[in-house]
Amino acid sequence: MASVASTTTAAPRSSRNPFHWITENTLAGMERRKALLGYLFLSPTILGILVFTAGPVIFSLVLSLFRWNVFSPPEFIGLANFDRFFHDSRALMSFWTSFVFVVFAVSLQLVVGMLLALVIQSRMVTWMRYTYRTAFFLPMLMSGAATAIVLSYMLHKEFGAVNYYLGLLGVPPIPWLSQPGWAMASIVISYLWLSMGFTMILFIGGLTGISTEVLDAADVDGAQGLTRFWNITLPMVSPTLLFAAVTGVIGGLQVFDLPYIMTYGGPGDSTRTAVMVMYEAAFKNMEIGYGSTIAVVLFVIILGVTAGQFGVGKRLVFYQ
Amino acid sequence: MISKQSTGISRREFLQWTGIGAATLAVAACAPAAPGAAVGGGAAAPAQGKIVLRMQVDPKQEQPVVDLYKQSHPDVDFDFVSVSGTDHEDIAAKILTLVASGQALDLGYAATEATQLYAGQKLSAPIDEYVKRDAADLKEYFTDVHPSLIQAMMFEGSLYQLPIDFNAANMYFNTAVLKEAGMETPKTDWTKDDFYNVAKAATKKDASGKTETYGYAWTNRLWGSWMPWIFVNGSNLLTEAEAPGGEWLWTDFYAGDKAAEGRGGGYRWLAPQANAAANVEALDFMVQLYKEGITPSIELGGGQTLQGFFTAGKLAMTPAGGFWAGGLANAGMPDGSFDVQLFPKWVNQRHQFGTAGQWLFDQGKNKDAAWDYMKFRISKDAMMINGMFNPVTLTTPTRRSMLTEERFAETGPANWQVFYSTLDDHPDTAPIPAPPVSNAMTQLFVNYTSRAMNEELAPQAALDGLQKELEDLYARNPDMYKKAN
Repeated sequence: MASVASTTTAAPRSSRNPFHWITENTLAGMERRKALLGYLFLSPTILGILVFTAGPVIFSLVLSLFRWNVFSPPEFIGLANFDRFFHDSRALMSFWTSFVFVVFAVSLQLVVGMLLALVIQSRMVTWMRYTYRTAFFLPMLMSGAATAIVLSYMLHKEFGAVNYYLGLLGVPPIPWLSQPGWAMASIVISYLWLSMGFTMILFIGGLTGISTEVLDAADVDGAQGLTRFWNITLPMVSPTLLFAAVTGVIGGLQVFDLPYIMTYGGPGDSTRTAVMVMYEAAFKNMEIGYGSTIAVVLFVIILGVTAGQFGVGKRLVFYQ
Repeated sequence: MISKQSTGISRREFLQWTGIGAATLAVAACAPAAPGAAVGGGAAAPAQGKIVLRMQVDPKQEQPVVDLYKQSHPDVDFDFVSVSGTDHEDIAAKILTLVASGQALDLGYAATEATQLYAGQKLSAPIDEYVKRDAADLKEYFTDVHPSLIQAMMFEGSLYQLPIDFNAANMYFNTAVLKEAGMETPKTDWTKDDFYNVAKAATKKDASGKTETYGYAWTNRLWGSWMPWIFVNGSNLLTEAEAPGGEWLWTDFYAGDKAAEGRGGGYRWLAPQANAAANVEALDFMVQLYKEGITPSIELGGGQTLQGFFTAGKLAMTPAGGFWAGGLANAGMPDGSFDVQLFPKWVNQRHQFGTAGQWLFDQGKNKDAAWDYMKFRISKDAMMINGMFNPVTLTTPTRRSMLTEERFAETGPANWQVFYSTLDDHPDTAPIPAPPVSNAMTQLFVNYTSRAMNEELAPQAALDGLQKELEDLYARNPDMYKKAN
């Protein structure tokens, strides 16, 4: 009733203070002020996302329809860049390479991260737990580029430290960076070393959040070892698992620094990822339009995969 | 009930207006600004009446030159932009990105790899008019610099840079490794077969057949790499032609110089010929050396790793230029522990080189001031104190008069005369092929080289693949030599 009164008795807004709608001393005015305050607090984030994320995405979409080298005016070419993309064996191969990388890197990231979290959360002296936690997390703080440079020296087939020590054990030189299969394995292992600490911390958070009552009840019911892990622990940390998987896949599909520095995408194109091809097209060859096309395709794929993950998560993830 | 009816601004309206505002901002922010519009934009605010030149340099090397220049030009300040990269094309990509983002330069620094790339994009400006205007000041410089280095800085009839340093791919030897193998530094006229014998003799393997000391190594890039073998086998990756124009330059500055005869307006690399028989033969030879354990697996980059193994006595020979002498000295190799010789003769002994110098930003607002500094920088006084050449010679100066016994007395190599005699004795020595699409071309070149070297593809198949992709690249860029069409 109050609202009816306020709206029916109010004089036309235009004839009064233009800010009347927000300043009026009524319940409705209070509500508006409250709503506006909420939006004001939200606006920096919304603006940030629109300007730095949504804006570039839209701009990339527009650019993908042009031929543009920055120095000359853009030329509208319709879908020609997309046509070129779907006939560009190197670009298509790079997406496949990214997919293979994600499958191996993210799977290992989740498995190793979970194992480390379980080990660290098991009965252990506190100082040791903190030491291990720090040791495994520390690589996360390292610069990917610096790590890649050091690893490329260490993994050199003939002169690298890794093969030197393996040689002492009688292992023949491994072409870590000079044979396609080994090069991919090297990149995956390097990525795993850099990223598993973060996944581990996520899982530690998930494991810590499991109610002791549930675990005690499992104990009473005689659930031990793998049974307990499979039926109790895993479902309880499944929201964390979903989060780790989604962020892992998004991060994995965008991998750039390690292959760019360690192998330059080689040997041949064996470690050339989608983001590398995008970078090379846009910034080395100054084909900004074509680079944008690759970015748009990658964006759509990431969007689709993430939506798929959430779809699967709806059926499999257990929320307390 | 209350809130639903009375809230004056709906969530949808708010998001709509925020979206419109942000999109406007985003489009404004991302809109392609004219590169020249932001000249000096990144520079610190100049003092009243001062010109600030924004310059891509190594600050440490450049500082002595700048200090000397400012003594006579107190009205000029400098804003250094330091750009590093894994190789020249990486640096070029960063420069292009820098300029594309509106952070323009007044003066850049580019090697052959990027000379036509920048000129072709109209990023760099021709300096013909400045050179003609200041011909009297520049006469001494041109007399001191080999014409082939000048020609390499031309594009479509115009001069774009004044070369300061260059490096021809000569052959470096670790004299201790050679001595252990019972060999000596070869003579000037050594051949490809002599090279093979030296490389084989210097290669040391353990009982299991694993190589401990390699006879020869190279890095996978455009300069150096296996490109010198293409050249000495009488070929090139791309066809070579001469652009018309430039007569004024040769007449005004090189009249009577036989080495300048027949030179025109700069190189045109008009078509790919990657799978020419001579190129396949050269790559076959590289693969053979790898299979025999004479050469290690091939790496990308500027050769820092190889330098380490050379100094450690694990490598006998590698192609490099004058820049290696300073690097080896800095790495602790004493004079006499390494030497240099011309690249071996195969079909001929034509060398490849790369040269570098400053370039003027085409849309710069301070072009006159920038030119003045560029001209000063190639003066003998400035070059003598440049950190590139002083106190250690980190690369080869383009001035013949600066290559002296005294310069190499402390560092070596003993055969330092080779650096310039490569040009003087072999005037057909030419720049590495680097057309306006050199970045994309280099990527393809290193890609297929690595495929052949890791035996994924046979040399013929690798070079057929390279040829096909280079043809596609050229087809996508039909206008890179506009005057040629």
